[in-house]
Amino acid sequence: MKILKEIPELVDAGIISQETAEKINDYYLQKNSQSPNRLILVFGILGAILVGLGVLLIIAHNWDNLSRLTKTVFAFLPMLVGQALCGYTLIKKTNSKVWRESSTAFLFLAVGASISLVSQVYHIPGNLSSFLFTWMLIGLPLVYVMNSSVASLLYLSGVTWYACEAGYWTYPSSEPYYFWLLLMLVLPHYFLLLRRNPGSNFTAFHNWIVPLSAIITLGTLADTNEKFMFISYMSLFGLFFLIGNLNFFSTLKPVNNGYRILGSIGTISLLWFLSFDWFWDSLRKDGFLLSDVIFSPEFISALVITAIAIVLFYRQFRNKQLIEINPIEPVFILFIIAFLIGLFSPFSVILINLIVLLIGVVTIRNGAKLNHLGILNFGLLIITALVICRFFDTDLSFVVRGGMFVLVGAGFFAINLWMLKKRKENE
Amino acid sequence: MNKRKLLPAAFIVVVLVQLYIPAKMIFDRENILSSGREFKFRAAPVDPNDPFRGKYIVLNFMNNTIDIQGLDEWKMNESIYVILSTDEDGFAEIKSISKEKPSGNQGFVKAKVGNLMFNDEKKLTIEYPFDRFYMEETKAPRAETEYNKASRDSTRTTWALVSIKDGEAVLKDVMIDGVSIGKLHGVNDMK
Repeated sequence: MKILKEIPELVDAGIISQETAEKINDYYLQKNSQSPNRLILVFGILGAILVGLGVLLIIAHNWDNLSRLTKTVFAFLPMLVGQALCGYTLIKKTNSKVWRESSTAFLFLAVGASISLVSQVYHIPGNLSSFLFTWMLIGLPLVYVMNSSVASLLYLSGVTWYACEAGYWTYPSSEPYYFWLLLMLVLPHYFLLLRRNPGSNFTAFHNWIVPLSAIITLGTLADTNEKFMFISYMSLFGLFFLIGNLNFFSTLKPVNNGYRILGSIGTISLLWFLSFDWFWDSLRKDGFLLSDVIFSPEFISALVITAIAIVLFYRQFRNKQLIEINPIEPVFILFIIAFLIGLFSPFSVILINLIVLLIGVVTIRNGAKLNHLGILNFGLLIITALVICRFFDTDLSFVVRGGMFVLVGAGFFAINLWMLKKRKENE
Repeated sequence: MNKRKLLPAAFIVVVLVQLYIPAKMIFDRENILSSGREFKFRAAPVDPNDPFRGKYIVLNFMNNTIDIQGLDEWKMNESIYVILSTDEDGFAEIKSISKEKPSGNQGFVKAKVGNLMFNDEKKLTIEYPFDRFYMEETKAPRAETEYNKASRDSTRTTWALVSIKDGEAVLKDVMIDGVSIGKLHGVNDMK
């Protein structure tokens, strides 16, 4: 460890006393022996997952030469091994994270192998989505009984895959409403993780996979009123961004805060898309009757997600001033206003462009204030992308478009130079 | 009960459920295979694959439509019961369809409504719940080739042998001219 090598130098220079040096040494010695060996945990889990997947693949070969009886016996074998390992963990290795996570990961996959083999032997119908559904439902209790985060991550990936299979990749598609119930069922484990180990790697993985899973699956609700999905998605991104800005999450390392990153990237990407006239053009032409859409899943999802996001927005900002609000946060509300205006007038597309521009400018200002080149250039990137989007709009003259490009390009140089100069002056 | 006692109990329940589900799947199918009635459905196999369960052949059934009166009565993906009879060649034929479970001893199978056709004749396509036949990975593509050969020769017929009991069905085998597709010369080459 780097700090331990520096200690003799610090002692010689008289910055810390010999006593302090020994204390520091002891502290790290103790900390190292206490913390579970992370490498063993990672290899244990990876090993268990690889073996489990290997068993699944070997089973998928469909051994025709074996008799039905032999195959059925083999169907139970991996599962029994996994159950024995988990049972042993519960009795003898209660405190070993390595044992707990690895044996549960193996059993989770072995359960899949077992129902897969039975399905093959008896040619049980049902497509991949119904297979995944059964598997995940049988695997779920392992999350709680074994208190295993790997099982929870496998489960979340599995239910997302199930929803995609059922909602996107099968024709005729069905809306996998069960997904939302399946997602809820694993949330208690996630909340416990957040409360007990907010800084752990498992929690960080959950902070990414939970919002990602919701983002991927929300689109399966789209049916005939897909325009409302834009409201649903915008509100979902807004909601995630607001969650990411809660005191609890904003103290995390930025890379562990999936909510904030997914929320901001999602909001901005959607705004870029909406800064074209396509969406607004078809919205004005098609229109809709409220009575037709009010019970559609798209409308209901838009309503529910927006309502939750507004409550959170209100709670976070009732004591704040307007200037303290990050411009990405209220975008989902502004978008609904733009949507309503867009039903009658082409002004909305201008409004969206203005919002993107505003976000870009405020981000640049924040970057300058925090003396952070990353944030500053992210702001510039937002504006550049907006300009590139406008490049493809043929109704602007070439001269105007050319001028915009030159201006933004020059802005990049000017702002970065100014920032670097300011840093030098401060040093 | 405190947590110390509850956790092992919960674990045992989970273990039993995990064992029970495949066991129940096996038991139900064995029951149909041993005491169900056999039907032969004319079919055409093609070969896709599934990431977990491996290669299989999909069976496209022939004679799987029935004329209907009104289209409003039926919905896509709805569960229906298909009452079956046998034609003079011994192949299954659709006698009628019903939303209620038929009573008595007649052969019937639970299926789903597939496409509804709106042309001059109103027709309903039936999706049988035994359209997947899992095969060893090297055999499935050869089985498809073998079938294609057989289908060019109009004297050869392909059918699915299905055991049916109380509306539930288990696919037993796929046969080309009376030979199990897995044992056909050309499919079962041990190269």
